[in-house]
Amino acid sequence: MATGGTRGTRLLGGRIPYIDGPLKVTGQAEYTDDIRRPGMLVGRLLRSPWAHARILSVDTSAARALPGVAAVLTGEKYPTPFGVLPITHDETAIAIGKTRYVGDIVAAVAAVDERTAERALELIRVDVEPLPEYTDPRMGVEKVAEPIHARGLLGTNIQKEVVQHFGDVDAAFAQATHRVRVHGRFAGVTHAFTEPLVTIAEATADGRLTVYSATQVPHYLHRALSEVLGIPMHRIRVIKPEVGGGFGGKSDPLPHEIVCAALSIETGRPVKMLLDREDVFYTNHGRHPTDNEVRIATDAEGRILAYDIDALIDGGAWSSFGTVTTYYNGILAMGPYRIPNFRYHGRRVYTNKPPSGAMRAHGGTNLRYSIEVGLDEIAEATKLDPFDLRTRNALPPNSTTINDFRITSTSFLKCLAAARERSGWDSKFRKLPYGRGVGLGCGFYISGSNSPIHFKPVMPQSTVHLKVDMDGGIAVHSMQADIGQGSNTLLAAIVAEVLGVDLERVRVPRVDSDVSPIDIGSYSSRVTFMMGNAARRAAEDLRAQLLRAASHRTGHPVEQLEVAYERIQVRHRPDVGVTFMEALHAAMERAGALTATGAYSSPPMGGSFKGARAGTAPAYSFGAYVAEVAVDPETGLYRAEKMWAAFDCGRPLNRLAVEGQVEGSIHMALGQVMGESMNYRGARLLNPSLLEYKIPAPAQMPEIEVLLVGDDDPEGPFGAKEAGEGPLIAALPAMGNAIYDAVGVRCYELPITPDRIVRGIEDRRKEGRAWKGA
Amino acid sequence: MHLDPFELSQPTTIEEAVRLRAEHVDGSDYLAGGTDLLPNYKMHLNVRPRLIALGNVAGLDGISLDRIGAMARLADLERDRAFASSYPGIGEAIREIATPLVRASGTVGGNLLLETRCFFFNQSEFWRASLGYCLKADGDRCHVVPQKEKCYATFSGDLAPTLEVLDAEVEIAGADGRRRVPLERLYDAQGDGIHRHHMAPGELLVAVYLPKDARERVATYLKLRVRPSFDFPELGVAAAGRFDGDRVLGLRLGLGGVETRPRRFDELTDPVVGSRLSDERIRAIAEGVVRQSRPVHNTFLAPEYRKRMVGVFVRRALTKVRDSARVA
Repeated sequence: MATGGTRGTRLLGGRIPYIDGPLKVTGQAEYTDDIRRPGMLVGRLLRSPWAHARILSVDTSAARALPGVAAVLTGEKYPTPFGVLPITHDETAIAIGKTRYVGDIVAAVAAVDERTAERALELIRVDVEPLPEYTDPRMGVEKVAEPIHARGLLGTNIQKEVVQHFGDVDAAFAQATHRVRVHGRFAGVTHAFTEPLVTIAEATADGRLTVYSATQVPHYLHRALSEVLGIPMHRIRVIKPEVGGGFGGKSDPLPHEIVCAALSIETGRPVKMLLDREDVFYTNHGRHPTDNEVRIATDAEGRILAYDIDALIDGGAWSSFGTVTTYYNGILAMGPYRIPNFRYHGRRVYTNKPPSGAMRAHGGTNLRYSIEVGLDEIAEATKLDPFDLRTRNALPPNSTTINDFRITSTSFLKCLAAARERSGWDSKFRKLPYGRGVGLGCGFYISGSNSPIHFKPVMPQSTVHLKVDMDGGIAVHSMQADIGQGSNTLLAAIVAEVLGVDLERVRVPRVDSDVSPIDIGSYSSRVTFMMGNAARRAAEDLRAQLLRAASHRTGHPVEQLEVAYERIQVRHRPDVGVTFMEALHAAMERAGALTATGAYSSPPMGGSFKGARAGTAPAYSFGAYVAEVAVDPETGLYRAEKMWAAFDCGRPLNRLAVEGQVEGSIHMALGQVMGESMNYRGARLLNPSLLEYKIPAPAQMPEIEVLLVGDDDPEGPFGAKEAGEGPLIAALPAMGNAIYDAVGVRCYELPITPDRIVRGIEDRRKEGRAWKGA
Repeated sequence: MHLDPFELSQPTTIEEAVRLRAEHVDGSDYLAGGTDLLPNYKMHLNVRPRLIALGNVAGLDGISLDRIGAMARLADLERDRAFASSYPGIGEAIREIATPLVRASGTVGGNLLLETRCFFFNQSEFWRASLGYCLKADGDRCHVVPQKEKCYATFSGDLAPTLEVLDAEVEIAGADGRRRVPLERLYDAQGDGIHRHHMAPGELLVAVYLPKDARERVATYLKLRVRPSFDFPELGVAAAGRFDGDRVLGLRLGLGGVETRPRRFDELTDPVVGSRLSDERIRAIAEGVVRQSRPVHNTFLAPEYRKRMVGVFVRRALTKVRDSARVA
């Protein structure tokens, strides 16, 4: 049962169990793979075993001749390039001309069953001429013999270069008392969502195409299908069934989705394309392997004077979100501290590896890790407590950053205070015995990107339609994508809150482009803020209709009426009123079923320089986490004992969901810290399996204390901001800094494997630098 | 990834199983718990057209204090109260194996005869084809130590080192009847990851026997791995000892997860019999084991680190055995 709300609300602010929870835990929820269509074929992909090769010929004749094979597809048929960002369309559904990584799609088959499809793949002969392999971004920053893409800058493999300078960084460094330089190195990590990628496409005799897919962004998929297949959007229907996690890995339109649709068009039959785990690893779009150099200058009191940041980012074979990634790896440094001078040079370089893309807290983790470790080094040099250093530098509310980010609400100081007090920091920092330590890390993230990726035609970022008929059930239609984060529940609760009705009246049908108004999907932590506002407005529109009807029925003007539980009544005479159903039926007398619309567009913001829109958001989240760790100095093995997670998501509308997001974020952050990494031998991914890709085991999870201390945001729905991605960020540096407190080893490389700790301890001993007496 | 169709035989006697296997000597595998074999089949690793399922074979089951049937499930051993209280060291090792779900199916025999593992072997058909097949499946070279003679795949069973330090014997059935051999002599001393044990094709592991004094030994098993669940060992150290006060009556040390076979180090532990197991002696044994162990880069953690950790884990295991004996 939901518990009561806070700050004057009935539901919101309480703990609201997911409305789709019972279906999910009983297995009744319908995911894409559960769907069976009559006559459905199986689709399979032939992947390139070559990292970089010119395709000379693809002979599909033997595969086509195999009984049971319905279609074999190669790249030429659909040459229109696509990609999630309109400015970097560099992917094709199937490779044309050359292959760019081990795992690139070279051909596809639709057949009556799995075995036949796989036998058909074996019969396809591909002739290639190997090309030089570029497996490290450093190999591609100068002119290369064979650029991976023609679009690389000046014959290099550089996909995007960003140079920004605000203030005067050199002057600030010249006058600084303290300077620190952190060289961070970060392995690539991937989302490893539970539900693998899966799509069903059904081209029908009426010239229409229906696509069911495990996607976070049905609308961008809809656009890409239309562009590549050459079918107008209104003849394509995109359905998003339940989705088992995404974390950014289902936000690009993906090649298998387009190939699946193409195979259905070829065959005139439904086709299912279910990727296995290894396929999912090759599809990747995970966090970019990154090298960064962060220089920080402060005055004698630890006030930050300047950041000077350089990032070299391994993009893999495609652009994906890479242009955004390149900006984010610099500009997400603009909070949670005031930065008076700032310089950034970022390069994202194509390599012959699985494409990198957006992953939870996109662009925010690696940069933040280096900054927060650097700040701790400054704290040590200035003999300031890490909390005091950060408190001194906190970005004030209602301010503007030097790159024109509009900061409205921030409860960062409250986060710091809560984490410090609850963790018992002052009695632990540098005071725990050798091998135990506490560390502080802070975070900052956008609450919905201000710029929609597609801005033509101009339209709101979110739209919600409500429909209620005489049965009193309210349907919430929108193209937001619940991928497990609880957005269906949140929308239902917002609607129920505004209308005063019981939550069980509200249904959120699955996303279906035939009936759902466009929303740009679940990425950039935008759903609560933008869709929440749209839902609230739609519900207010519906409420106005009901109030007018109630006014007519009771004879009291609308201004005197109020909404109560399942009822509309006169404000000072609650005994006079009508039930919700009476109001509804009264409203329906002339118009029939009621409908209402709400929409959200973010206000204009940001500067006018090149790249000024990147990172602008209608609000930002903040966090301050303390980790307590226990390190075995002899083996370097360590565990997170406890995490105090103070987070500012504005007002948490569903505490149960927010706590789940914080806990899940910490689990994901610990993965990147403790062992997750995509390891390569040359261009070959060594560990494309969940056995060798080391997601932390449940037994590795620390006890977590979630401290939601945010004040209401002025523009968020009921005061809310994001809680889906920002909660991940602070956990990484908190761990790194805690390990330093425990054994005196600075870790500049993620993951922090035990051998690195052992080596660090040994180096310290050789240099005769004792730590906590050891 | 899917399992290709196979012929399934379901014999009910040991003799029938052995006869079937002999009839299809190159074309069959025994199927016990299937937790390792079937995933390997899905990856098209040395797939045979016939599986001889051992689930219905009489005489392979049963758990008593001196005999464990080869088909005993790891979870059964964990749950058997009499066994668990008599052999806490074996319990430690079992709880370190994979996950509860795997242990519910996985068998004692399967764990002892576990296929060796390697980054370049335990991969899909697509992956192996893209790099070039290796010695252990379909190819003629080793990607770990580039040469064409020897396979370096790692023995990753957690149970073998523990049973070795308890001087367990195994009973093997073959066409010529039954034989019993000490467990540590089951594994190929030449150290090849392909021909990893001395069972003839067609022979069947029937049971493990524990000697009378095994219950009097204090035993332990320490495992290094990245995660405290799921993972195969990056190294595993088993130790067992009998003591009279401070005086060592017997001491055994076993190492798994590092090379192609689980090894015992009697030449290092025998000399301490009759004397006190001092910290210095423990350190010397640990150094000796480190000198002899040669991990290669075919698991998650770096071989230099694993080699160094061999010393730490040996020292900790021996110290633990000595100190628990004192308390007891």
